[in-house]
Amino acid sequence: MAMMVDETIPDFDYYGSLSTTTTTTTATTTTSSSENDHDHGCTWNDWSPVLDWGAFSGGDNFQDLIESMIQGHNSTGGVNVNFHPSVNYFWKSISSEDSAGLIEEDYLEDSNNNQSADINGLKLVHLLMAAAEALSGVNKSRELARVILVRLKELASPNGATNMERLAAHFTDALQALLDGAASGTLHAKHMFSPNYKDEQHQGDVLAAFQLLQDMSPFVKFGHFTANQAILESVAHDRRVHIVDYDIMEGIQWASLMQAFVSRKDGPPTPHLRITALSRSGSGRRSFGTVQETGRRLTAFAASIGQPFSFHHCRLDSDETFKPTNLKLVRGEALIINCMLHLPHFSYRASDSVASFLSGSKNLNPRLVTLVEEEIRPIGEEEGFVGRFMDTLHHYSALYDSLEAGFPLQSRARTLVERVFLRPHITGSLARIYRVREEDERYSWGEWLGAVGFCKSNISFANHCQAKLLLGLFNDGYRVEEIGTNKLVLGWKSRRLFSASIWNTTDTDL
Amino acid sequence: MFHAKKPSTMNSHDRPMCVQGDSGLVLTTDPKPRLRWTVELHERFVDAVTQLGGPDSMFSIYSLANPTYIELLMIHQYLFREATPKTIMRVMGVKGLTLYHLKSHLQKFRLGKQPHKEFNDHSVKDGDRVTAATSLELQRNSASSSGMIGRNMNEMQMEVQRRLHEQLEVQRHLQLRIEAQGKYMQTILEKACQTLGGEENMALPARTFKGIGNQGGLIPDISAAFKEFGTPPLSFSSFQDLNICGGHDQQLELHAQSSMGERSSSFDGFMNLGNTTDHNLTLGKKRPSPYSSNGGNSNGKSPFMWSDDFRLQELGVATAAALGPNNEDDHQIIQMERSCNPELDSVSDLYESKPILQEEKKCDAKLERPSPRRAAQISSLSAQGGRSSVFGELLSWQDGKVTDGGERPE
Repeated sequence: MAMMVDETIPDFDYYGSLSTTTTTTTATTTTSSSENDHDHGCTWNDWSPVLDWGAFSGGDNFQDLIESMIQGHNSTGGVNVNFHPSVNYFWKSISSEDSAGLIEEDYLEDSNNNQSADINGLKLVHLLMAAAEALSGVNKSRELARVILVRLKELASPNGATNMERLAAHFTDALQALLDGAASGTLHAKHMFSPNYKDEQHQGDVLAAFQLLQDMSPFVKFGHFTANQAILESVAHDRRVHIVDYDIMEGIQWASLMQAFVSRKDGPPTPHLRITALSRSGSGRRSFGTVQETGRRLTAFAASIGQPFSFHHCRLDSDETFKPTNLKLVRGEALIINCMLHLPHFSYRASDSVASFLSGSKNLNPRLVTLVEEEIRPIGEEEGFVGRFMDTLHHYSALYDSLEAGFPLQSRARTLVERVFLRPHITGSLARIYRVREEDERYSWGEWLGAVGFCKSNISFANHCQAKLLLGLFNDGYRVEEIGTNKLVLGWKSRRLFSASIWNTTDTDL
Repeated sequence: MFHAKKPSTMNSHDRPMCVQGDSGLVLTTDPKPRLRWTVELHERFVDAVTQLGGPDSMFSIYSLANPTYIELLMIHQYLFREATPKTIMRVMGVKGLTLYHLKSHLQKFRLGKQPHKEFNDHSVKDGDRVTAATSLELQRNSASSSGMIGRNMNEMQMEVQRRLHEQLEVQRHLQLRIEAQGKYMQTILEKACQTLGGEENMALPARTFKGIGNQGGLIPDISAAFKEFGTPPLSFSSFQDLNICGGHDQQLELHAQSSMGERSSSFDGFMNLGNTTDHNLTLGKKRPSPYSSNGGNSNGKSPFMWSDDFRLQELGVATAAALGPNNEDDHQIIQMERSCNPELDSVSDLYESKPILQEEKKCDAKLERPSPRRAAQISSLSAQGGRSSVFGELLSWQDGKVTDGGERPE
């Protein structure tokens, strides 16, 4: 039987002329009609380990090749079929028997564990990249992808000892889901969004992981505190404050804001705080409670510290579109729009929903808009799925590493956080980037806000200062940058992870 | 894909004892062969770094000094992309080409781009929350925003004082805000305990330690996860121990004269809380904290004590709720072992507890009820201006110090 390149994978044609994707809304990206050429601009193909992908583009050896790969993992003799020698070397390198032999003869005097960990890390990166290539582009081949994923599963376990291993395992499972979804034609919305992990996981798990996440990493606090500081500064002289919160979750952001209000010295005494939380029909937030429960909790907390407070919720439509008319506004109150996205414990929200919220807000003339989102690197179209895939791998690798650096010995705690929060995010991210046709995937919401007419609002010295202090409580590798006057970006070493930015609708900054 | 390169004539190093492997990798013929950074290899290295960087500066100057692990892997892979895996394996076995050395080559490369910068290996290795670039940026921002440039020294001094004061304020506020969050977290956990108390899948640590029983693989996960936080030593230091840069006169010369070395810029000094010096400026008070752990931490970092036992309560609340109303002082979900840091003996008693080693033991036996003593301790701590909480303990664990006991990760 002839081995055909599988047709059921949607033909995304990354290397063909892409007319839809743009990386920014302000710049027009020229969509070059790229050749299906390995040398063209696409650095990732150049990185393929000595594998001549031309060998997979058809031809007589294809099936033999596949079979030999499959056999190669089981046999002790390694790969022994006649095909391109470069492929031979590649598979030899990843088959444990051979490389073990190689390593042993050279490593007799070197028992440095780091070496083997690095080599394993390399193997895993090679394989993941190969799998991504096998799932996309001109050389896509489901059979090859399947084989590679099998091998990956042998090498990487979700409970593995190293970050790279666990990360690779989670990515492998996500890739497998892509493969399965493509096969059955069910690559639909369900896979595109982070599975509602709160359904699949025990509440206790989620709560415990949330607590650990907050203790082990600065991400949540960074987002909340930066936004809160900006809010505080912008309502310094107001008596009534109204915050519309896009995704209130468990409500913890507002605890510290209330505390700050209660203890503010300048300006009027403690302002009245009104929070409107958007609620969604359907998915209940079982672990953190419903929006109503969050409201009760916030009300009780406010009472305990003497913060005048009232809580409302505003329903989103069934497709999660925001209608500003559903909102109850009071004259004389300072309106704040708060939009937290992408934090590790959050579920993914559809772009249409977010867009409806932010654009709807514009008409309300809010005093301030606070936005926290994942910081992503715009990927050129020519890099395609593989480029996005590797960038995603880089992103989560940085996240895992940051947790490990701070808490190297608490591997179980980290594994829990990874499993509960990061793994579903990985699955969702890959599903989304696989469907590259989505136009609005690779620009940030900050850019979007700028494009629809919001103005930047300056991050104050105190806010920047606070962020640095906060990071000082955690590992050295975290850093904060101020970008473009209105944005703070939290990063791990060289990788930017989350950004917090502030906006308003007038040119004058209070 | 791979092609044997002709023997390189570019290897102009004086060592005659180099052999040319395939793909242009040059190894010495020492008994322990080392890789030589030949011109060619370095060019490929530059190529790798350039390719990895894009317009978005993945490889900014900062990142060259602090690459992530996966970046190192990518560079390494790119360097040897034409090599056979056998060569890769062999070369990685060669002394001198660990990722660590790749990283150090990156640093030198970065320096090569900025020849006038001082390079201190130690400081870079320790990492920087505030890099030279960003701290310069910060200073520039504050300078321009305060219009300091062009003013006279007097005004500059005043401005600096003002900034200092502001920083202290921010610090104080940050502490309060974190506590408020902790307090709120407590309410979440309390509620969860109540609602989940009777359910089988209640997986909070309280239940686990009571030995309610395994409901599946999840509970060991969580109990293990929380157990892990019980083992490290608790080294306390007063929050006030932060090195506010006001303690350093030299650091008051913020802008022009900062050498821009990784450690010596003033904001570094301020922000870098682990930058221990002889000056311990407490908030307005100039006495060193009795809990100073400047000498006690492996990397010199001063962990914090946060006010309040909010954190303790929040962690212990699960037990409290589960075990009854008398336990609000219990906080032993997280067993705590103490290292014997003599300076901290007065504090060590505070959290004395027996480690929870086996789940079959009754939880009560292990719970400590040091309430009277603890109250006394807390008030004495407060009197001295120091306060404590498990949050500080958690933070101090990033030093990676661990006492024996506790579970090892699998």
